[in-house]
Amino acid sequence: MPNIQHLLDVFLKSMPLFLKGALLTLELSATSLLIGLVIGLFFAFLSLSKSAVLKAISTFYITIVRGTPLIVQIFVLYFGLTDLIKMSSFMAATLALAFHNGAYISEIFRGAIQSIDHGQYEAAKSLGMNNLLTYKRIILPQAFLRAIPSLGNQFIIALKDSSLAAFISMDELFNIATTQGSNNFDQMTYLVIVAFYYLLMVMILSFLVGKVETKLKKSGAT
Amino acid sequence: MALLSAQNIHKNFGQLEVLKGIDLEVQAGEVICLIGASGSGKSTFLRCLNYLELPTDGIINYQGTPIDPKVTNLNQVRSSMGMVFQHFNLFPHMSVLENIIEAPIKVQKIKRSEAIQIANRLLEKVGLSDKAKEYPARLSGGQKQRVAIARALAMDPKLMLFDEPTSALDPETVESVLNVMKQLVNDGMTMIIVTHEISFARAVADRICFLHEGKILEEGSPCELLDSPKNARTQEFLKSVIA
Ligand SMILES: Nc1ncnc2c1ncn2[C@@H]1O[C@H](COP(=O)(O)OP(=O)(O)O)[C@@H](O)[C@H]1O
Ligand SMILES: [Mg+2]
Repeated sequence: MPNIQHLLDVFLKSMPLFLKGALLTLELSATSLLIGLVIGLFFAFLSLSKSAVLKAISTFYITIVRGTPLIVQIFVLYFGLTDLIKMSSFMAATLALAFHNGAYISEIFRGAIQSIDHGQYEAAKSLGMNNLLTYKRIILPQAFLRAIPSLGNQFIIALKDSSLAAFISMDELFNIATTQGSNNFDQMTYLVIVAFYYLLMVMILSFLVGKVETKLKKSGAT
Repeated sequence: MALLSAQNIHKNFGQLEVLKGIDLEVQAGEVICLIGASGSGKSTFLRCLNYLELPTDGIINYQGTPIDPKVTNLNQVRSSMGMVFQHFNLFPHMSVLENIIEAPIKVQKIKRSEAIQIANRLLEKVGLSDKAKEYPARLSGGQKQRVAIARALAMDPKLMLFDEPTSALDPETVESVLNVMKQLVNDGMTMIIVTHEISFARAVADRICFLHEGKILEEGSPCELLDSPKNARTQEFLKSVIA
């Protein structure tokens, strides 16, 4: 282990670099999560549809994502996509992570939608609301509120998973740590420091998710 | 002409034959109470009337035209029949006021300010003016049910369907809901009410129908049906609920 004084020195000296990396990590995970939300909602609807074909498409997608390592997905999408269209590694990494998170988010949404009481559909129908209105105004808002804790959790996972984007040469946190570590022949110090940044972000996120959760519980909105 | 007439309504759930040919005519302004043992098909029948359930067979005429689910705009039909559920089914993510104005704004396309005016008037009617901003989770059962009634009334329905509106309530809040319903009766609202509150039915009903195993076994004025029931099953049922 590096000694504490040395660790602090390096920590302070490398702070500007790591903060830039942390920002990129946050951008990467937030963007991929946002796109993942859209993908997730889409596949949640497929898996809840009455059509066996649509259901199967959704099952196929989720099985692939769950059944293969994320690093493989990232490589396949990165080399696959950049072969087809010119795109930045940020774009490729975002899409790969979105593709990955989308599967988990679709399961979160599916569960949340299924957990809404049947009486809610009936009340909406009895007021003359059509299916679109019923979902848009009654079912999805409630399902989304219910999904917030799990989505927060998924955000934390996505944040940590985004470190794998280092392998397609994204200058996010983890990449900075390994590059700096090998440049300065001091791997362990930089690894401890990067672990600290991840931990800090995860703790802040967990705190925020917890806050939102208590607020939702208190309002009785779910 | 009747506001609504149901002819020979059948409903099967798979093999289970729940409704076995029900006929009912409802004149505008009439109050009809449906009574019967649990499982006799009261809810199913009520839900067939606004097509929450699709009848397996039979015809429903509403406002002079037969409802044909392939042709009729069911949402439009439903929007003019209010329904009040045993378990309220308020929208928990919306305040009391939002619950009430949602359908008028989104379905009837009424201006928001106008919808709020209507909602405030209805909240006053059901005695909950001070709860407009509350969320349903903060209300007692009786208050929730009164909000549910206001929400249905906001659509200016021609007919109100009540499915055991007081069965899920604590005894001390039942009266508040029944009082609101009595007001509606006095206003001349057409109502079909599934209830176990026999004394309430006696007080408000023009006609009481006794359902048994998917059929109306007996119907009549409250006096006829409650005081001198002809059918042995009706007698048995009344003994069991009044005791
Ligand atoms: N969606 C459904 N699927 C299958 N069976 C049902 C369904 N709804 C009601 N039933 C059955 O129909 C019968 C009548 O139910 P219901 O109309 O709720 O009776 P009541 O309201 O008089 O208690 C019961 O045996 C019930 O189990
Ligand atoms: Mg019932």
